[in-house]
Amino acid sequence: MNPRDIARVVLSTGSGRVGAVFLAALALVSLFVLVRFPLDFGSTRWNNPAVWADNPKAAAPAWTRLWAGDGAVGHAVFEAAQPSTRGLLGEGEQRDYVFTYDYTGGKLPTFMALAVSDVRFTSRPPVLTLAVRRPDGRVLTLSQTVVRGPRPGEPPPYLRHQDAPLRISLSGDPEALASVKEFLAQEYRVNLAAEALQGKVADAVFGAPSEGSPGQFQPLPGVYVFTLQEVAGSPSDATGSVKLVLGGSVYGVMGTDALGRDLALGLLFGFPVALAIGIATSLFATAIGAALGILSGYLAGKTDLAIQRLSDIWSNVPLLPILIFLIFILGQKLWLVVVIMILFGWPGLTIVVRSMVLQIRSGQLVEATQALGASKGRIMFRHLLFQIAPFLFAQMIFFTPGAILAEAGLSFLGLGDPSIPTWGQILESGFRTGAVYVGYWWWVLPPGLLIVATAMTFVLLTLGLEPVVNPRLRENR
Amino acid sequence: MSLVWTLAIRGLTLLGVLVVVLVLLVVALGATGFSDKMLKAIVGEEVRGIRTGLAQSIRDPDQLEATLAARRKDLERFYGLERPWYSRLSGMVLRVVTLDLGEARTLRSFEGSNKVTDLVLERLPYTLLLITTATAITSVLGLWIGVKLATRVGSLTDRLSSYLSAVSYAVPAWWAGILLILLLAFRLRLLPAGGLYSTPPPEEGLARFLDLLWHAVLPIATLVLVSIGAWTYTVRTMVLNTAQEFFVTVARAKGLPEGRVMGRYILRVAAPPIVTNLVLGLAGSLGGAILTETVFNWPGMGRLYYDAIVTADESLVVALTFMFTLLYVASRFLLEVLYVTLDPRIRYGQT
Repeated sequence: MNPRDIARVVLSTGSGRVGAVFLAALALVSLFVLVRFPLDFGSTRWNNPAVWADNPKAAAPAWTRLWAGDGAVGHAVFEAAQPSTRGLLGEGEQRDYVFTYDYTGGKLPTFMALAVSDVRFTSRPPVLTLAVRRPDGRVLTLSQTVVRGPRPGEPPPYLRHQDAPLRISLSGDPEALASVKEFLAQEYRVNLAAEALQGKVADAVFGAPSEGSPGQFQPLPGVYVFTLQEVAGSPSDATGSVKLVLGGSVYGVMGTDALGRDLALGLLFGFPVALAIGIATSLFATAIGAALGILSGYLAGKTDLAIQRLSDIWSNVPLLPILIFLIFILGQKLWLVVVIMILFGWPGLTIVVRSMVLQIRSGQLVEATQALGASKGRIMFRHLLFQIAPFLFAQMIFFTPGAILAEAGLSFLGLGDPSIPTWGQILESGFRTGAVYVGYWWWVLPPGLLIVATAMTFVLLTLGLEPVVNPRLRENR
Repeated sequence: MSLVWTLAIRGLTLLGVLVVVLVLLVVALGATGFSDKMLKAIVGEEVRGIRTGLAQSIRDPDQLEATLAARRKDLERFYGLERPWYSRLSGMVLRVVTLDLGEARTLRSFEGSNKVTDLVLERLPYTLLLITTATAITSVLGLWIGVKLATRVGSLTDRLSSYLSAVSYAVPAWWAGILLILLLAFRLRLLPAGGLYSTPPPEEGLARFLDLLWHAVLPIATLVLVSIGAWTYTVRTMVLNTAQEFFVTVARAKGLPEGRVMGRYILRVAAPPIVTNLVLGLAGSLGGAILTETVFNWPGMGRLYYDAIVTADESLVVALTFMFTLLYVASRFLLEVLYVTLDPRIRYGQT
């Protein structure tokens, strides 16, 4: 059968069609990820805490707001490269970045953070002041920061925060805490100890102190206007961008994990990785298994005996313990996992291929070819391999989910490759940090579902391939 | 004669598996320098012990250090550290085979022993309890449902079961376990999420045993759930294949009751492949136990394996890898014996 026939037969079955649609979806997402994600996503982004510093920790997906009904607050990020207004101030320049936030009430934002990056100045460092005008008209100055000045002997222009932004976590900032304390005392006549306000800066900004319970705040819905005032020493000084983050209690499409990592990105990156693991393993294991099976069946004699004994022994080695042991000893590398799975994956196929070859070899076709003087290599390649090719293809598809599931299991034991995030690793971090026991379902359900869906794709394709391998089924249709 | 011969060949093959795994273990340990590291740790431990002993009698620090260096040399020679790793292979193989793998680094048995052998022997019953119970339940249920389905080929339940078996192949048991914990233990608070006993554990015999069973419900249910689909489908297919044979038609034509046809004519013939699949599943779930036990914090061999990995305890990982292979090989041999006893064609030498 040629590939077009195989495709036609597979698509004529219900499970084959569903499998093909799934496979197309997997391939499309993988392609998208390969184009859009950096290849070193794992080490430079996923496992880099600085990237995720501005995200809420262990936040549910944003769409859970539709039915949760507990007034979850969304994550808000305001970023600006250009100030809203600018004006001369003496020798320098005053630039105001204005961010308007419409707070609808419900839960209070979980944290606040300010970040400034790419600062360049020639004489005096810029001074940054963040103030907020609340819906009740009260104005609260939250923080004042000066970018680090010139070091002795450093020539201008002075460049600051080129790689990592200057990040002020307002929720934990002592200065912000002090100004909130003063604000509460002045405006509400509420005197709270600094300890009672610890971590509650965002609560105080977006709420009014509760009458009954000190240290608690009632949400104050309405429009909040944040103004970040930058006083630069000279009009030619420049600031790359400023960012204000109001932490939500929900985040994004898939939520975040306990480190604030956007799970949607991790899950997306898992697509090409899972496909690559499955296909690479099954492709090479099938190739080795088929080659040895054909050699064993066609050459017979001592070669046959040796290959059969070897694959008998090899096929009885339990994969998971050996995989765990070797990865533990040799190091956590994904390519190593694939290589080990290939090395232990071929013997089952060799035994089956040999018996098929024995059958074909005794047939007239091979006999005739031999009589015509064809070489051994030509017979094995041209007549044996081509005849069993559809079967090998079906075996390859059948073998794929096993490899994906084995890698997922290995990652779940904490033996995954730290530089390449996989679904199994996301599950592992969720399980190890106890997400299961506190009900962070968005952290453990989606990666598992994706593993199951990917494995299922290949199982369905295998079912669809059955008529290809077993012609009797085809005629009955 | 041929029966003994068949079993001997299989036995030799399985022995070969053990040898291959052993060689793999020691070569991987030796060539990567792991065994050197392990032995050096043992020597360091012993030298530290000697130092505290000697410090009582030898006052002069220089003399103390000199004596210690000499003792360390002796010890290193004793453990073969001055020779290259491959010359120590035979000794290592022997130690692994006799499970004389020294001491676990941080893990302790319930009685406080840190010997690897004690740890493994103590955890083994819990793994066997889990796997054998789950397999027993699965096989009884699967046989019953599978035979039922075979009599109703093409019905809605039959078609549904074929899809379920495909799904169960794609669902890893450990993830199914996490789902069940989320649903039954966390959301509904029906069952304990893991562990062996409640805290505090019940004192007396029966209550303690019942508590153990109570904690085993979720892991066993998980193992049964993920394997029942495929198993039912296997039984159904095997029964169907046999039911199409002529002797079954003849038996029916003779007017034998359907129960007798099913029991004596179909199941008796279909039994060997069914048992093969059963024991294969049992052997397979041994490896799976590493993951399932980890999910349910069930202190069997699998959980021990996980703890050994987390605490980076080399000697324990080696011992457990070997133990798992040993168990796997043993259950495979059991399968061969069963197969030979069940299938008269093999027993009477017609292969």
